[in-house]
Amino acid sequence: MSQEQSKQDVKPMKIDDILQRDVWDVDLEPHITVDSSKCEKCPTKPCLYLCPAGCYVLAGNKVVFSYEGCVECGTCRVICPMNAITWHYPKSGKGIMFRFT
Amino acid sequence: MDVKNKWDIIIVGAGPAGSAAGYTLAKKGFDVLILERGRQPGYKELFGGRVYAEPLKKIYGNELSGAPIHRWVKKEKLSFVDGNKLVSLEYQSDTSTSFTTYLPQLAKWMADKASEAGALLVEEVTVDRILYKDGKVVGVGSGPDEAYADLVIDAEGVNRLLLEGLGLVEKLKPEQVAIGAKETIKLGEDKINERFGLSKGEGMAWLLMGSITDYIPGGAFVYTNKDSVSIGLVLHLGHAIKEVKEHISQMVEKLRLHPQLRNLWIDGDIMEYGGHLTPEAGPAMMPKKLALNGLLITGDAGGLLLNVGYTIRGVDFAAYTGYLAAEAAIEAHEKGGFTESNLSVYEKKLRDSFVYKDLTRLTGMQDLYSDAKMFKALPKLAVGTASRVFEIGLETPGIWNSFTQARKEAGFGLFSLAWKGYKLMKKM
Ligand SMILES: Cc1cc2nc3c(=O)[nH]c(=O)nc-3n(C[C@H](O)[C@H](O)[C@H](O)COP(=O)(O)OP(=O)(O)OC[C@H]3O[C@@H](n4cnc5c(N)ncnc54)[C@H](O)[C@@H]3O)c2cc1C
Ligand code: SF4
Ligand code: SF4
Repeated sequence: MSQEQSKQDVKPMKIDDILQRDVWDVDLEPHITVDSSKCEKCPTKPCLYLCPAGCYVLAGNKVVFSYEGCVECGTCRVICPMNAITWHYPKSGKGIMFRFT
Repeated sequence: MDVKNKWDIIIVGAGPAGSAAGYTLAKKGFDVLILERGRQPGYKELFGGRVYAEPLKKIYGNELSGAPIHRWVKKEKLSFVDGNKLVSLEYQSDTSTSFTTYLPQLAKWMADKASEAGALLVEEVTVDRILYKDGKVVGVGSGPDEAYADLVIDAEGVNRLLLEGLGLVEKLKPEQVAIGAKETIKLGEDKINERFGLSKGEGMAWLLMGSITDYIPGGAFVYTNKDSVSIGLVLHLGHAIKEVKEHISQMVEKLRLHPQLRNLWIDGDIMEYGGHLTPEAGPAMMPKKLALNGLLITGDAGGLLLNVGYTIRGVDFAAYTGYLAAEAAIEAHEKGGFTESNLSVYEKKLRDSFVYKDLTRLTGMQDLYSDAKMFKALPKLAVGTASRVFEIGLETPGIWNSFTQARKEAGFGLFSLAWKGYKLMKKM
């Protein structure tokens, strides 16, 4: 590789852009629901960092959840300290379709 | 589930465990139904990148040569990373015991093998309950549908919602699992060969630890596939919930853009990104029993995975436990039925195999790897020593002096270091 190339400006991609590479058949109904009143009282909010698909984001000081990009790993279900999450797999056949992982 | 509803055996999950069990049982002539929630086997699967072949050879024999094998691993590398510096240990060999692949491809191949042997694979069925009646498991349900069997084999993987529903295990705790996130980067076969110093068909497995995970116990991995590279991180969730400072995808991006690594793949394109949990606790995650009346538990669902830091044995362990479950079912059937006492031969087979032996012998390694203090100090010690030895200015530092200075900087007493080293060697 040339010096030129290796010096090129390399910036981390944002999760939303990275996820453009993935394929889903998104269910019309959410398979995960979050009781946001519990999030307000959640001291650590680990879902903001550890949901690999970035489904949990802060808007102002509110945690907003969207299920569409979920990769069905189950992490949020395990880490939520407030039991705020009702977690199911998407309806049969729906959801993420990994091909090269 | 638009199929007949009484079977000899129903298997939940067409991952490595379920498909190996289905293949072995269908070959013996059992009437087997495999239910998979994905549209295709493998669509819900993500792993690091390398599979140990020997257990699969025991199951598939020569047929394994038809599997989607990308490269045979002939180069192993272990690196300690501290900031922008890294120290590596490399092992090269002209023999190989493991190969790289995409798990969705391998899982599809294994499921096809089960179908060819005569099992019926039905996709797009999410089993939502295991049916239990009069002291035994009698089948499974999905929404309004039910299907019945003399034996159910649970191969549902790490999240094991069904076992939780049955009350056989408690909900997973963060300390029991690790989260993995991964990018697959398309690069081209020749570029991979050139940049990683590989010949055609030869692969590399590379584990990195230290600042690459922000010193969160776990590690980073790099695997070469045929024409792509898999890179990613595994973080122990118990530590990560307390210590993580940025989004996990950004940590993977830092791996991709690491100054000492990025030139290997910087002109490649990210093909896919994803995340998955993996069992971490080994025996501590096992249900009390793996064989019950009408039920056998295999693979990740049973916590039957070995993670020793420098490598994960999940796929081969899962496949082999599926195979042993099938063998146990065959014996139980000959003895008159799938009762708990007849099926308990599964636990005996596990105990007599490498699976249990490795799990009980090597799990102390997991404790050491999740020892946060050591996890931080070791990379600092290695990199600190090497940078003193190699970055020569005017004076040429001696190795022992360099080591001593780095050891003090990393906060290790000589005796505590010797003690930890001794404990590690004993476990290995
Ligand atoms: C980040 C990471 C890196 C890893 N690296 C490696 C590695 O390099 N090498 C290695 O050998 N192992 C590795 N592993 C571990 C390996 O992936 C697993 O141990 C292995 O896939 C377990 O196989 P399994 O068949 O038990 O479960 P899974 O592979 O999880 O398969 C379970 C199957 O069941 C289906 N299923 C689940 N629930 C239901 C339901 N209710 N109804 C119907 N179907 C259902 C799923 O869709 C899936 O197809 C890694 C894991 C992770 C997360
Ligand atoms: S961890 Fe649970 S309670 Fe806390 S913010 Fe996230 S979803 Fe809400
Ligand atoms: S299951 Fe995984 S990907 Fe889906 S929302 Fe939870 S943490 Fe995110």
